[in-house]
Amino acid sequence: MRVVIAEDLALLREGLVALLRENEIDVVAQVEDGPGLLRAIAGHKPDLAIVDVRLPPTYSDEGLLAAIEARRRQPALGVLVLSQYVETTYASELIGGDTAGIGYLLKERVGDVRAFLDALQRVAAGGTVLDRQVVAELLVPPGGATEPMSGLTAREREVLALMAEGRSNTAIAESMIVTPGAVEKHITSIFAKLELPACNDDHRRVLAVLAYLRVSR
Amino acid sequence: MSGRARLPIDLSQPPRAAGARRWMPALAAGLSIGEYARSLVRRLAFLSAVLVAAIWALDGQGYFWPAWAWLGLGDLVLLDFSAGWAWRQPRGAVRRVACVWALVGVAAVILVFTWLLTWLLAGAQTFWPAWALLGLATSGSAYSLIALQDRVLVAHGRRALRARIDMLTRTRRQAVDAQAAELRRIERDLHDGAQARLVALTLQLGRAELRVQEQPEIRGLILDAQREAHHAIAELRDLARGIVPPLLADRGLVAAVESLAARYGLGTSIEADTHGSLAPAVESAAYFVIAEALTNTAKHACAKRSWISLTDGQRMLVVIVGDDGLGGADPSGSGLAGLRARVEALDGSLHIDSPDGDGTLLEARLPCG
Repeated sequence: MRVVIAEDLALLREGLVALLRENEIDVVAQVEDGPGLLRAIAGHKPDLAIVDVRLPPTYSDEGLLAAIEARRRQPALGVLVLSQYVETTYASELIGGDTAGIGYLLKERVGDVRAFLDALQRVAAGGTVLDRQVVAELLVPPGGATEPMSGLTAREREVLALMAEGRSNTAIAESMIVTPGAVEKHITSIFAKLELPACNDDHRRVLAVLAYLRVSR
Repeated sequence: MSGRARLPIDLSQPPRAAGARRWMPALAAGLSIGEYARSLVRRLAFLSAVLVAAIWALDGQGYFWPAWAWLGLGDLVLLDFSAGWAWRQPRGAVRRVACVWALVGVAAVILVFTWLLTWLLAGAQTFWPAWALLGLATSGSAYSLIALQDRVLVAHGRRALRARIDMLTRTRRQAVDAQAAELRRIERDLHDGAQARLVALTLQLGRAELRVQEQPEIRGLILDAQREAHHAIAELRDLARGIVPPLLADRGLVAAVESLAARYGLGTSIEADTHGSLAPAVESAAYFVIAEALTNTAKHACAKRSWISLTDGQRMLVVIVGDDGLGGADPSGSGLAGLRARVEALDGSLHIDSPDGDGTLLEARLPCG
């Protein structure tokens, strides 16, 4: 796998490079800003770009905009955006119309090295990864009791958040320390409450979740 | 008689009736006793003037002594007019000064006309009233200065006060703007400094953890450290978000409000008519007003409809948040009171209209010139 990293903080960028190289992932370019990212992508044709939302020169949402532009130029490129923020608008904008090969994770998820590497692989392979906290934010509107999501139990929300991260039933069961059967029951209940058609395919389940998230935008 | 009597005397108060109702009905027509007396005096003065002239004519003419009588009678009428003028001035120092000048004026006229008559009747002489006139003018001016000194000082005081208020308003606004800018700088530093370093730290800890799979004790310690770092990152994130939500800092008020409204899922309609960029303090205040209003709507209102309007014009940002819910919001509740303080710190105003059962309308006006 060939990866480009766009991150302005040297300490974090070097840490990421070291982590990826230790795990035999080829880091073909490291850049510090949005225009640099677009140049590196044009030059190296990587499989995946890891992009910080906040990049110079504006230090606002420059990285996000560059990531969206990079996707527009190379639709096959996987983009994993790392953000300091639980900002649902950014996540929704990144998802746009096409969920394949998209990831939005909070920055600190890099600390859970195995899960992070797993997320990289899934995004590069065209999967979708959405941070569970961003999902939780979308699922529980502030103060409101008017959302269909409020009908979900805390356990069901947890399952849904893990589903949005693209995890399999087995992985969800392991993570929640329950049986896969119990997870299956939760999922059936979630789909019933959200009036979404249930199916067994992991990726289609994520799409269903994302479709719901986009509707709720 | 009546026609002639009206001419020289009664300019201010024309007779109100003719014929038999000539004198007494004046009272019935609404004149006060004072006014009636004054009009009587004027008529008597005119009659006397005519009478004196007639006596002079019948008495074989010669030295025109009636001129002195006319001077005396004329002074009486002049005194009446000038006193009337002085009395119409505003009460207090101004009226007192007017009275003094009315007397000075009458005295000056007496002096000048006396000199004029002696000059006409007895031949040329020096203008002897000059020193008396100078004395009158000096004492009148001195009295005016003393009497009106207060007013001059008060006017000066008012100007000074206004200048001070302007200065305080300006510096308070500068302080609020500086504070808002400083808060945003702190927020940025939290993200780009401490938080980013903590993220780098968790990454290093994660890499270390991979290397000690076989040593559960060390691995446990590393995972504990990582958990602490995660807590610290989450706390910093909440802190930064409370200062200024990222979308507000990055995209401005309208985008931030749209995202906020979407998150509440109230189907809020948003109308925004804003131009150019707003000061950070104004933006933040408007944002938190809307956030609080939407929270209240979502929690308490059971509203079917909710709307937000942002209008920026005439150096004033007007924020209106309304719903058609239950109403009855308490403007002195802690949330709304906090908003009021925030808005008033910007010299703005916050108005809440929330009758029981008839929706809630919140209007914040924020100066942004």
